[in-house]
Amino acid sequence: MRYWQRFGACLIAAGLTFLAPGHATAQEPIRIGVLLPLTGPFAKNGIENWEAMQIARDMINERGGVNGRKIELVNGDATSPAAAISETERLITKEGIKITTGSFASPLAIAVSQAAERQGVFHWETTGAAEIITRRGFKHTFQVGAPARRYGQVAVDFIIDDLSKELKKPVADLRIALLWENRAFGKSVGDGIRAYAESKKIKLVYDEGYDQFATDMTPIVQKLKDEKPDILIAISFPNDAILFQRKAKELDFNVAAFIGVSAGYSSPDLRNSIGNVVNGIFVADFPPKVNPNVLKPDVRKVAEEFYKRYEAKMKRPPAGHAAAGFSAIWALFTDVLPKAKTFEPDELRDIALKLDLPEGSLVNGSGIKFTNFDWPEDPKDAGQNLRASIGVWQWTPDGNEQVFPSNLATHAPIMVPLPAWSSR
Amino acid sequence: MSTFGQLVLSGIFIGSIYALMSMGLTLIFGVLRIVNFAHGEFLMLGMYGAWAITRLFGLNPYVAAIAVVPAMFLFGAIVHQLVVRPGLDKPHLVVVFATMGLSIFMQNVALMIMTADLWDVPPIFSRSITIGPFYFKAELLLGFVVTIVCTFFLRWLIRTTYLGKAIRATVQDGEAAMLMGIPVPRIFLITFAGGSALVGLAACIMMPLFSVFPTVGLNFVLIAFVIVVLGGMGSIEGALLGGICIGVVQSLSSYYVAPAYGQMFYFILFLLVMIFRPNGLLGQKGAATIGIND
Repeated sequence: MRYWQRFGACLIAAGLTFLAPGHATAQEPIRIGVLLPLTGPFAKNGIENWEAMQIARDMINERGGVNGRKIELVNGDATSPAAAISETERLITKEGIKITTGSFASPLAIAVSQAAERQGVFHWETTGAAEIITRRGFKHTFQVGAPARRYGQVAVDFIIDDLSKELKKPVADLRIALLWENRAFGKSVGDGIRAYAESKKIKLVYDEGYDQFATDMTPIVQKLKDEKPDILIAISFPNDAILFQRKAKELDFNVAAFIGVSAGYSSPDLRNSIGNVVNGIFVADFPPKVNPNVLKPDVRKVAEEFYKRYEAKMKRPPAGHAAAGFSAIWALFTDVLPKAKTFEPDELRDIALKLDLPEGSLVNGSGIKFTNFDWPEDPKDAGQNLRASIGVWQWTPDGNEQVFPSNLATHAPIMVPLPAWSSR
Repeated sequence: MSTFGQLVLSGIFIGSIYALMSMGLTLIFGVLRIVNFAHGEFLMLGMYGAWAITRLFGLNPYVAAIAVVPAMFLFGAIVHQLVVRPGLDKPHLVVVFATMGLSIFMQNVALMIMTADLWDVPPIFSRSITIGPFYFKAELLLGFVVTIVCTFFLRWLIRTTYLGKAIRATVQDGEAAMLMGIPVPRIFLITFAGGSALVGLAACIMMPLFSVFPTVGLNFVLIAFVIVVLGGMGSIEGALLGGICIGVVQSLSSYYVAPAYGQMFYFILFLLVMIFRPNGLLGQKGAATIGIND
């Protein structure tokens, strides 16, 4: 029914566009600036995101575009925050871009949205997660992915609802440690976990930040070993996650459950680098793939097509951030742009604020409902998506499976408690 | 106590790896008086080489050194002829920018060819060595031994061989050396290529310990610069001592203060050494202008 409604709406919209004066210009493509790190240290994830977005563009254009207008993606290489600003400004001033999206990592998202806001451009952030992105009073920045705080919350909820039962220990008796890389993303997530754990009366036995470019993990692992935690929650990037796991093996540091938060622990490289000892590690993250039953029927079809195309192109299933990139930009194509007439930032902002999509409306299980200086927890917050999906998945011998929350789950957790290094 | 011992032990081992990695830079700086800003990318190239040989022929990365070290020697020679030599008689900044440009170029070529994926070689020794309460990887111990051997070899080379004497003469007074029949341009070439070969050796030692990716050099190059200056700009033994100091300071301060401050503490050490011993730990007076010394 809904499908037909949408189809009808599209037909009417297409008809109206055609009848409207000056319809010749309507055939010009809609140009969207994509700011992603395509070179430099974040390039790996940036390129995966870019591939996902290109698939979205191809899929929408094959379906006739948005109200008959094709989508054109114009990319900028946001290698670092400074480059992100200059590339955003280049796209806006030289290329005449009025809609920007991207940008994978929080420090880049902060920079891109700042440049876009300054130029009065609509920014649709797909994966940047730091809380500050939506707390600067910006009017045209919308963060579709879950904010950093929720990554941590879902990790803590997973411990309370699931792990404490599996480990047969009450939550109050569990020794929980928290390790975070000390830049925008890690700190933001770490702060979120600390605050949420406190609100749930959970005490952390260890809570420390470290430099992502650290070349020696001995002091960190040694300190953790002294604290003997049952559960370790770690927020890392790929290289430091690998160094940490190797050092944990070298110094024989064991935990009953290991929860990595996004980034490093969700990177498909992890298995290539540390081998099958990756099995059993939990990852609090954007879901790479959710139980299809939670998706709306038309979304389920889009999801199937996306996963098929992505795997064919990249020879592996998408990581959570790539699925999130696709989900967000697809929502932009199907729920925001079709309603726009002028494509001016203020109009797009109004459309975005009116969105009220239930969970399961986006490919990765998210819905959309943005804050607009009206969120009780922080009235300064605007543009945060309160219905972004987040969950916990686990590395398994066959790949990965969503394990938490139960409605998104595709599998029950395995390898709890985690075997010691000597028997892994 | 056992924790302290573990930290010092790990600090010494990782520090010796840092030292090995910065020896090539020390040598080049000590003789040519230029800073090779592409040093980190030379390391990256060497690591990719070690990785590729391990992967293609199923060899151990240490065995790969037999091919990687001469290949890096050759690569260093080519870079010297094409990038460094044309700038040697020009203002100092020319070589700085030339090597910096080379660094960016190499990073991006690596990104295009290898993509941004992280690559590793499988561990060589599956278990850590355990002595009493101390754990360490055999790969680290091996790195330590190679570093010590390298230090003594270079010391012997510079002090006693004809090549070493020619290098020292070139450093002391290039024009006089030339009048004495020393082919100064060739000495420069050999030193630059030799420094690159040393990075190649370090790369093979590091490959089992670290992942390789196009920007891996950035993680190490800052430490390498600090070690060169800390050790005494051109002093090989100084580089060893500097590397170990940094490893230990980083390890202890990260444990006893906070992991986020490890880098801060070795820079404090660096500043203190610069204030009280401006020529570095083992540098002679005016090391920055004199160059390699013994």
